[in-house]
Amino acid sequence: MKAYEENPDGIKKADIVVGIPSYNEADLIAYPTQQAALGLKEYFGNMDSVIINCDNNSTDGTRDVFMNADTGAIPKMYISTPEGVKGKGNNFRNLFKKVVELEARAIVVVDADLKSITPRWIKNLGEPLFNDFGYVTPLYVRHKYDGTITNNIAYPFTRCLYGRRVRQPIGGDFGFSGRLAELYTRSKLWDEDVSLFGIDIWMTTVAMNEGIPICQTFMGRPKVHKPKDPASDLGPMFRQVVGTIFKLMDEYHEHWEKTRWSKPTAIFGFGLGEVEMPPPVTVTKEKLYEKFRKGFSTYWDIYKVIFSGESLQKIREIASLDMDRFEMPTAVWAKILFDFALCSKKQTVDIDKAIDALIPLYYGMTLSFVNKTEGMSIQQAEEFLEDMCQVFEETKPYLVDRWDQA
Amino acid sequence: MSKILVVDDEKHIRLLYAEELEEEGYDVALASDGTGIGECIEKESPDVVVLDIKMVNSNGLDILQEIRNTYYNLPVILCSAYGSYKVDIKSIAADAYVVKSSDLTELKKKISQVLEAKIPEPG
Repeated sequence: MKAYEENPDGIKKADIVVGIPSYNEADLIAYPTQQAALGLKEYFGNMDSVIINCDNNSTDGTRDVFMNADTGAIPKMYISTPEGVKGKGNNFRNLFKKVVELEARAIVVVDADLKSITPRWIKNLGEPLFNDFGYVTPLYVRHKYDGTITNNIAYPFTRCLYGRRVRQPIGGDFGFSGRLAELYTRSKLWDEDVSLFGIDIWMTTVAMNEGIPICQTFMGRPKVHKPKDPASDLGPMFRQVVGTIFKLMDEYHEHWEKTRWSKPTAIFGFGLGEVEMPPPVTVTKEKLYEKFRKGFSTYWDIYKVIFSGESLQKIREIASLDMDRFEMPTAVWAKILFDFALCSKKQTVDIDKAIDALIPLYYGMTLSFVNKTEGMSIQQAEEFLEDMCQVFEETKPYLVDRWDQA
Repeated sequence: MSKILVVDDEKHIRLLYAEELEEEGYDVALASDGTGIGECIEKESPDVVVLDIKMVNSNGLDILQEIRNTYYNLPVILCSAYGSYKVDIKSIAADAYVVKSSDLTELKKKISQVLEAKIPEPG
């Protein structure tokens, strides 16, 4: 894949780079670009820096908006995948190569649709990289219904597997060292899903398993970006994130099989004072329920292959609940995910078909989460999630016992 | 034998914890507040710290930060009569959180879990 590059200032070296991956983000990219520039100027003013937009050849003028954004003395570069080549991961791959070439020590990546970014975010994600950490993930308050793949799958699953409590493993905003970027470029674990939306969970999982010092950093402000209804906007992201988790499980099974319980991850930037609350996210329970019920009938034959008799009976029972009483016990959900992971390993069902069959159950789990947390504050929902994670960890022996026989 | 350092400003709580945890086979050290927590950890070399949050002379969440600045891998269990502190984002740095009760079953379970917790070094 030959990348297209514009480097009007002829930048050949940088200490710190801010990367902004994008695809058709002309409406929103100017704001994070300007905030990034302010952050670089204010907190890393004594270093050479550059902002790089890693784009998928957007057709809406993203490049022009980015290149024309006022960043003062901070230079900009534009890199794009060739026409027709999409994928967030492909943008990251271009970024990894470029930052290695620039010999950057620290790289901060922020989403192009961020509305709540402040210059301080660049400091919070960048500073730990000059203090012995190699990978930095954000800690921000998100609405309880924002990030449902994170809450129901990515966080509890990776935490119980690898024992690291990284609250936002697919948060979209990260920091990583130049050394880690080099490791990413050399990794043999790259595949189609990673080149798309699997990239975030891939980066986090690789960092966790390669002994990279990880920290979480308080961002102060909530993540506010383009809102999505969890019932409407699942898209290919689910398939790519979950597919990547399953594939990496195979690669790192010796590590996670020996991991017991979990430990907190280092925190950088305690004491940011008051934490601002995020705006509400709408969720349509009827749609979640309808999609669960419809998919449940469609994929019943696949469930019969994947689940044990006991699990099958339990899921059938859950499916008979009406919408307002709908509840998926966490232990059942954890076993569902473990059974799908085992299926991915054994290849008893084509992995694409298996993940299609998992989607309705995920909608069911999301509905269950909504029902349980409806009357809760964001903080109480967070506590509920902590209890969910504990159940995942307690249920993990179910997976370990079966993995080597699979 | 694993050693538990209990930091709590209420004497009867310290004594209750000491008695019950010693019965479980743990060695127990006691501190009445978080002042000089660093020296206390150096002196006692605990395997786990059980830390009260709301103390007269100190705030357990601040003590937790102090511990984390130096002893990153030392397991800390926050223990408070107030469940509301559990939702304080700073408590995320603790290994576990237990709401205080005269029945120490939950605390003992968490102590045993944090002692068992293991993340192998990458191969």
